[in-house]
Amino acid sequence: MGSEVLLVCICVPLFGSFLLPLLGMINIKLRNAAALIFTATAFVCAALALPEVLAGTPLSLHYELPLGLSFGFYADVLAVFMALTSSLVATIIVIYSFEYIKEYDHQNEYYMMVCLFIGTMMGLVFSTNLIFIYIFWEISAICCWRLIGFYREEITIRRANKAFIVTVVGALIMLVGFVGIYGQTGTFDLAAMKGTHLPAWIVILILFGVLSKSATFPLHNWLPDAGVAPSPVTSLLHAAVLVKIGVYIYARLFVNSFEIDKVFTVAVPIIAAVSALVSAGVALRENDIKRIIAYSTISQLAFILLGLSSGTEIGVLGGLLYILMHSVAKGGLFLCAGIVEHTLHTKDITKMGGLYKGMPLTALAFLFCAFSVMGIPPFGGFFAKYLVIDGIISAGNVGLGAVFIAGAVMTVLYLSRLFIKVFLGETVSDAREAGSPVMVASVVVLAILSVALGISIHWPSGFASLIGGGI
Amino acid sequence: MLTSISSFLGSDANLIWFMIVLPAVVGVVLWLIKNYPLRLILGLASAAANLLFAVSLFRSEGFYKVFPFAAGGLNISFNVYGFSSLFLTFIAVCFLLVILYSVVYFKGKKHAGLFLLYMYISLAMMNGAFMSDNLGILLFFWEGLLCTLFGILLINNLHHPRTAVKALILAGTADLLMMLGIIITAYQAGTLCISQMEKLPVAGAAAVGFACMMLGAIGKAGSMPFHSWIPNAAEDAPTPFMVAFPAALEKFLGIYLAARIVMDIYDVQPGSGASIAVMTIGTLTIVLAVAMALIQKDMKRLLSYHAISQVGYMVLGIGTALPIGIMGGIFHMLNHVIYKSCLFMTAGSVELQTGTTDLKQFSGLGRKMPLTMTCFIISALAISGVPPLNGFFSKELVFDAALESNIVFYLGALLGAFMTAISFLKLGRAAFGGELKLPAGRQNVRESGPGIFLPMAVLAILCVLFGVANTLPLDGLLGPAVGDPHKYSGWPHSATLVVISVAVLLLALVDHLYGSRKSGGALYAADHIHYAPGLKTIYDLAERQVFDPYIWLLQIARGVSAVCNWIERGIIWLYDDAVVGIVKGAGNLLQRANDGSLSRYLLVAVSGVAGIIALFLAIN
Repeated sequence: MGSEVLLVCICVPLFGSFLLPLLGMINIKLRNAAALIFTATAFVCAALALPEVLAGTPLSLHYELPLGLSFGFYADVLAVFMALTSSLVATIIVIYSFEYIKEYDHQNEYYMMVCLFIGTMMGLVFSTNLIFIYIFWEISAICCWRLIGFYREEITIRRANKAFIVTVVGALIMLVGFVGIYGQTGTFDLAAMKGTHLPAWIVILILFGVLSKSATFPLHNWLPDAGVAPSPVTSLLHAAVLVKIGVYIYARLFVNSFEIDKVFTVAVPIIAAVSALVSAGVALRENDIKRIIAYSTISQLAFILLGLSSGTEIGVLGGLLYILMHSVAKGGLFLCAGIVEHTLHTKDITKMGGLYKGMPLTALAFLFCAFSVMGIPPFGGFFAKYLVIDGIISAGNVGLGAVFIAGAVMTVLYLSRLFIKVFLGETVSDAREAGSPVMVASVVVLAILSVALGISIHWPSGFASLIGGGI
Repeated sequence: MLTSISSFLGSDANLIWFMIVLPAVVGVVLWLIKNYPLRLILGLASAAANLLFAVSLFRSEGFYKVFPFAAGGLNISFNVYGFSSLFLTFIAVCFLLVILYSVVYFKGKKHAGLFLLYMYISLAMMNGAFMSDNLGILLFFWEGLLCTLFGILLINNLHHPRTAVKALILAGTADLLMMLGIIITAYQAGTLCISQMEKLPVAGAAAVGFACMMLGAIGKAGSMPFHSWIPNAAEDAPTPFMVAFPAALEKFLGIYLAARIVMDIYDVQPGSGASIAVMTIGTLTIVLAVAMALIQKDMKRLLSYHAISQVGYMVLGIGTALPIGIMGGIFHMLNHVIYKSCLFMTAGSVELQTGTTDLKQFSGLGRKMPLTMTCFIISALAISGVPPLNGFFSKELVFDAALESNIVFYLGALLGAFMTAISFLKLGRAAFGGELKLPAGRQNVRESGPGIFLPMAVLAILCVLFGVANTLPLDGLLGPAVGDPHKYSGWPHSATLVVISVAVLLLALVDHLYGSRKSGGALYAADHIHYAPGLKTIYDLAERQVFDPYIWLLQIARGVSAVCNWIERGIIWLYDDAVVGIVKGAGNLLQRANDGSLSRYLLVAVSGVAGIIALFLAIN
């Protein structure tokens, strides 16, 4: 397989997205099919790159430009792992969208933005140049701004602006950090500066970008507010693309490329611990189904960050597996929430109850995904959680390990509360409609994936350990 | 034949296929077939096959197999040796009886298939847990039981999921503590495999690891503080669940690990802080749970409190860290599974006939159900520790060890024995003795059929056999498996302790007779204790769940949540109000400055130029 497969993987969704509004004017079905094909292309191309990458020969493309702007695309195990995770979940979300979005305005823009989003994600994971990473980063902010404001109501626009401003300000601070790196190394090319030791001030500047994008305390607040977006969009933001960008860049820069001070293996886990606990605590009190799951995302992202920042190989392995397991399970939870919201036209869980009757498959899928997020075996989340905790304790930090176990107990509490309030108990609503078959099938696939990834943990963990081995 | 089976199981990955995958697959098949005879045959055949495999493994020389599973050191490493394969056999025997009982019990009822599916998946998980040498994999199987526990408790309770959620949260918390304990232990030991560990001293971080692992292990067995879902389950869950889980399977699992922690993983010295802490939990569990059992008026609820209380003896025995205590704890676990399963089965038998286990609604069943009554009496005598039944011998071993450690623990255990005897006198006489009284619409009560009776009878016979011929379990099974050369069989060596125990039993009889005469009925025989001044207040609080650790956990979580919410409101204010306010305020200020006054603009321009010149001069 030639390295050109990377170009296809990035360019098809990235540039194809601009065709979608035109196709939409001709025929809606054509547009939907094209959106699916463009997204699936990203997944297929990433999968095609897999064998060679696993065999130890990373794919790369390089273009020389002056002023340190030489750029290229580079597919190592980490990049392909991330690309596969994102594009897989994104593809399922696109299929789900066909039904969910069909009755709303601005569909052309919706599909364009979703597709563009996936294209920028692919571009971001494969880029070797910091400036390109920054550009893709900002394009994704624009996509997310348009998508959160999809319903065009005043509140959604305000929330979209909030998300945009917080992530863009974070990214601008990060850009200063990138310039600082240029000042140190004279290049923006990641490959050329591998192994450089970064001074603390640059790390802190970049952390602003990472934490704002990955919604970590205290830069997390835009994420629950973004719940006003349609459910497939929130699913996309939480599971497939947006929030995973931050942790990916953390892994790419601070685990894979640069050396950073030891102090960050304690400082970042402490930030993560605060983030995990505070958001779990809030999740236990909220009554809005999507806000609960959003706070849960913030809490789980802290586990990912904990693993990646623990400074141990096993913690990084756990963090990477966590990205995969969380993407699948959280994607499923949001899509289930979407079915519930679509049927009942409310997000208030106090007005729900006994929905297992009308929608047994959705209830079961929700439970499976919730078990995975709680970290109960044989679901995939168990291994991720175990390895992350193992990572921080191997780093010699028993106290933080205990704090995160408390966070995990809180996770069990708020997710079981959510499940019983929505699906069990006395039937409050007489809703019988269980969502369209396509939507239910999407969540069932994600639920099955949550179990399958746990039972066949041999493969995903072997895959992720190759990344750890490269560190 | 056993040798060839065990060598077959030991080759390739057959252990995984036949001990773990096969039960799960059988479970799915049983779930799908609706035909009763077919289900019975397949259920019994598969449970018997599992027993055959377990016995063959027990009789084999043992082996060690490693299968790569997950990165990060999580290999499936199975260590089949005396102790683990003995537990495989115990669980297989128990499982066979439970399956027979369950299939018959659920005949014509809804969700029988679902129940069996969960049971078989649980069997797969437990087989895996017993064979695991790798603690991480042990945790995988161990924690996996949460799913089946939650599933079974939801059967018929989807409208009313209280117990299922309580169990999920309590057991989940215990399992997460266990995860922390295992990881700390592995980090301290430098390996995840028990067989490669050198016994760790209980100090520093390892003490945290020990505490977390031990809490997780005894929590699984139903010890305090993770016990409080069990009495709720007695009300909501089907009776075969009570026979299987709180009475039997979870005891095997929890006590197995607790014993291995003390024997193989940690170096617990008798009299050390760790030992005393565990013994304290054990004694508190004995006394507090049996005190609650005393006042129950429902057969299943009463038994469920005993299922908690009896764990206390096992934990106390193992906690002494003395060989006699460990042996007593394990033997008591085995005996408990036998008589408690039998007791729950008799409750189920009564329930099938009368439609209830509420003791206020029936009495005098002995005449209608003599076989059930006989089994009940034998197992009730066994749990009360009446010689020469099995419970007597294991209790004496635990008493012996407790007395050697500290007399306080011995007295606590003795108090527990006293109250156990009282509550079973009350239960037995209320249910089976006295005038015949039946619930309305249930007049044709008769003895249960063979499918219900057979497992009860087998267990009752075992109660007698393991008591009279205690050489068999103690020297034949447990001694070699534990690797303790000392012989504990035969009559207890301390005659004084036996005399005291018997005196306590007689005292219980006297108290029962006094109580039933005072309150006018066997069912109310413990009321003089229940309503004693002082005790009544405590009982009232307990009935209102004031002492329920689950409620405490929820309250702590709510408190944490309130603080977090307060912090979060602050952050929201910062973004939504403070930043917006500052930006708007600054904008307003600048707008006001731009009022079109030429003189003001000129002033700004001149001072700006002056400022730049000053800056240049300063730099030069």
